Amino acid sequence: MEIMVNGKPYEVADEPDRPLLWVLRDELSLIGTKFGCGIGICGSCDVHLDGNVTRSCITPLSSVRGKAVRTIEGLAGDGGLHPVQQAFLDEQVHQCGWCMSGQMMRAVALLEENPDPTEEELAATMNANYCRCGAYGRIRRAIVRAAGQMAAAEDPTSGGGGT
Amino acid sequence: MTERRGVQGNQAPDEADREWYISRRGFLIGMAATGTALALGIPLGLPPLRRAAARLTEGEAGGFASGTLDPLLWFEIYPDERVLAYVPKAEMGQGIHTALAQIAAEELEVAWEKLEVLHASTSQADDSFRGTSGSMSVATLYDPLRQAAATLREMLRHEAARKLNQSSEALVARDGGFEVAGDPNTRITFGQLVAGAVEWQVPEEDVPLKPASEYKFIGRSLPRIDLPAKIAGEAIFGYDARAEGMLYGAAVHRPTIEAKMRSARPGLTEGMPGVVKVVIEDSFAGVVAESRLQAWAARDALEIEWDEGYLWQQQELEDLVTAGGRGGVSIQRVGNAPSALKQGTPIVAEYRTGMGTHAPMEPQAALALVGPDGGKVWTSTQFEMTARRMVAEALDLELEQIEIIPTFLGGAFGRKIELDPVPSPAVEAARFSRAVGAPVHVGWDRFEEMRDGFFRPLTHHQFSAILNDGGRIEAMNHEQASGDALFGGFPQPVGKILGFDFGSTRGAQIPYAIPNRETVAWRRPMPIPTGSWRGLGLMANLFAIESFFDELAHAAGKDPLQFRLEHLPDDVLGQRIRAALEAVAAQAAWGRALPEGQAQGIACGTDGGTVVAEVAEISVDQDSGRIRVHQVVAAVDPGLVINPDGATAQIEGSIVMGVSAALLEEITVRDGRVEAGNFDRYPLLRMGDAPEVETILLEAPDGKPRGLGEPSIGPIAPAIGNAFFALTGIRLRRLPMTAERVQAALG
Repeated sequence: MEIMVNGKPYEVADEPDRPLLWVLRDELSLIGTKFGCGIGICGSCDVHLDGNVTRSCITPLSSVRGKAVRTIEGLAGDGGLHPVQQAFLDEQVHQCGWCMSGQMMRAVALLEENPDPTEEELAATMNANYCRCGAYGRIRRAIVRAAGQMAAAEDPTSGGGGT
Repeated sequence: MTERRGVQGNQAPDEADREWYISRRGFLIGMAATGTALALGIPLGLPPLRRAAARLTEGEAGGFASGTLDPLLWFEIYPDERVLAYVPKAEMGQGIHTALAQIAAEELEVAWEKLEVLHASTSQADDSFRGTSGSMSVATLYDPLRQAAATLREMLRHEAARKLNQSSEALVARDGGFEVAGDPNTRITFGQLVAGAVEWQVPEEDVPLKPASEYKFIGRSLPRIDLPAKIAGEAIFGYDARAEGMLYGAAVHRPTIEAKMRSARPGLTEGMPGVVKVVIEDSFAGVVAESRLQAWAARDALEIEWDEGYLWQQQELEDLVTAGGRGGVSIQRVGNAPSALKQGTPIVAEYRTGMGTHAPMEPQAALALVGPDGGKVWTSTQFEMTARRMVAEALDLELEQIEIIPTFLGGAFGRKIELDPVPSPAVEAARFSRAVGAPVHVGWDRFEEMRDGFFRPLTHHQFSAILNDGGRIEAMNHEQASGDALFGGFPQPVGKILGFDFGSTRGAQIPYAIPNRETVAWRRPMPIPTGSWRGLGLMANLFAIESFFDELAHAAGKDPLQFRLEHLPDDVLGQRIRAALEAVAAQAAWGRALPEGQAQGIACGTDGGTVVAEVAEISVDQDSGRIRVHQVVAAVDPGLVINPDGATAQIEGSIVMGVSAALLEEITVRDGRVEAGNFDRYPLLRMGDAPEVETILLEAPDGKPRGLGEPSIGPIAPAIGNAFFALTGIRLRRLPMTAERVQAALG
């Protein structure tokens, strides 16, 4: 069967029950999406399915048919890093980095849905993702920073530079 | 500045088939075989390297010798201006490669973006003991790394002076080149200097090092060099290692703590989809398959008969780890505490800490490619040399036939130290690869990661203390028992001779100036594998000591901060603790009026010379018993700070992990099995429950760098417990302080 990942079609074995995570990692070599728990608790495997965050470790291939998959490898564009990636870099968020693809994918989905989340909305959303290194404070700051930059880029009167 | 990693990326460049000879001053000078690169290494004073150096000098005195005798730490400079720094340290999120790059750049005067840091493989830097643990990397490498960098710079300066027809003193080193002071047109770069045949000379005298006042790289919050790859999702961890034609392996692990395999049969496994081979050898059984899920499923279908052994219950383990009776070793004795305690009615209390697991987000993983003459293993490991020994022993090969190539680690926290009694994915992958003659990757599932390793041990603490009429502590006694935190992987005689496990007793000694004080430790090996966990015994010991000290403050009717200040020793360490306590109290506005239902708690401690004081502000949900930590202020004095932002990240991370461990995390045993198998039974702290952490960095003026990865995890649990007492008047004496325990305590 064919699946669309980061705008590109891939031919993969038609095993409808196989979780998307292992297709991405082991068949397509998109190793940026990580395995953490296998039961949908930790969020290390988060990807987008038609723009919605999805735990790829418990998402069977059958439910991916006809949908657009986006992974960490698809975040950066021709203009460089996605504002969320840039903000994670600017805030020096990562420690070990294993959970961070999932964190960034969830943060991107949050800001695409809700460009100016309150602190409570931000925490409620990001509660879905574990960070064992304890970088939660920096993740929070990076998302606030990214929201500011994305808003500034949207607003032609601001000059697009953000802070 | 970049960092090259992974299956293809971590190898030395082809041009660097190095040849080393030893200089009169003990440095190893290397030349690439092609003569186009200069390398300089230092033996670091470690015995195996001295031996290697001796072999070199005996064999071909003064001349070149080829082989894989790279020193433990070395630089290579290439004509294209790249400077590679090979280090023996694993990057597991602590930012060590960035810190070491800063230290090296300081004396080398290299252009920052041209410097690359590589974790040397076991074949590149052969030393029987190296590893990454104990918050010791910067402290141990700070001097030798600067000395090597300065020596290399002076060798380059000598050559630059010769080429420019100038005296060495006339030249200024800057950004990877030299020039006559004030004349940029004379600039000659490192790359230009190493191109061509040069007779390198090591300076006769020790090269003087810069005073700290001239530091340009050390002390700055330079960005982490490993982050760009991690941001892009391109960094290679052990779980990500790949090779052409790679298969997947999964091994059977014992179902109970004491289980022994009686027999293993393939059963229906061989007919299952994707199965390439069933591997049964010694007491090892597993499956190699075309995909990971096929390997996992087939592994679960193997027919194994077990002798389950004794089926331990949690309470039996708790009873084992009890202080008192025979076998205690006094590890601190000042005055005569036992006698002083008989002079009145002592205040007594008993503390316990449950077991915990590391839960790195990346489960154990390794890729092996093994042939008849040896092989290579790529793995997330803190102790690559131990991994090499374990693989070599399992395959009955010589050490030199195995090369371990360390990858990035997706967290470790003490778990990835290759402890002998527990299974190793490096060994499993190597066995499978040998069996099928192809590269095999083993990546554990979370169940294996959580159950099949080793655990932070149980601890037990009994205190007694007596106050004098002035409200000061006259005598204090700490009786401590712990499962092994360090000796779990050591040959048993070591622990027997010493009598106590010095990992378990980190933080166990009473740091206060009490005229009569004693700490007695009981080593209580547990039937379940136990070992290192961030800080080893530090969290449990500081929880016990700093909570009990708080009890004494309240018994004396004193403010807990004031009580601590009054009992500090009048020495340098005491002054540093005082500075940290005063700084944290000022920043947290200790004693200020807080919103209804909130309270502050304070605690402090020292670890490896690093001083930490923390104030936690908490509230409690009366119905659920859930403690919420709103804010933590930490004052930390590690001496010299290499990278303030990196230091701050380590402190924030230690505190958040500490809050998680103190409130939520507990491993328990039932019917011989670890009960938790995934995060549903072993939840971690989430963002919404994580405190804001405010960090104050203090720097002792002695200019010595000390550890930062672990010390801050020590005082957080007692700071929370002390705040809980301030809020409720109830003392919590067991970790973790789960909602259920709090609820029970509140009645």
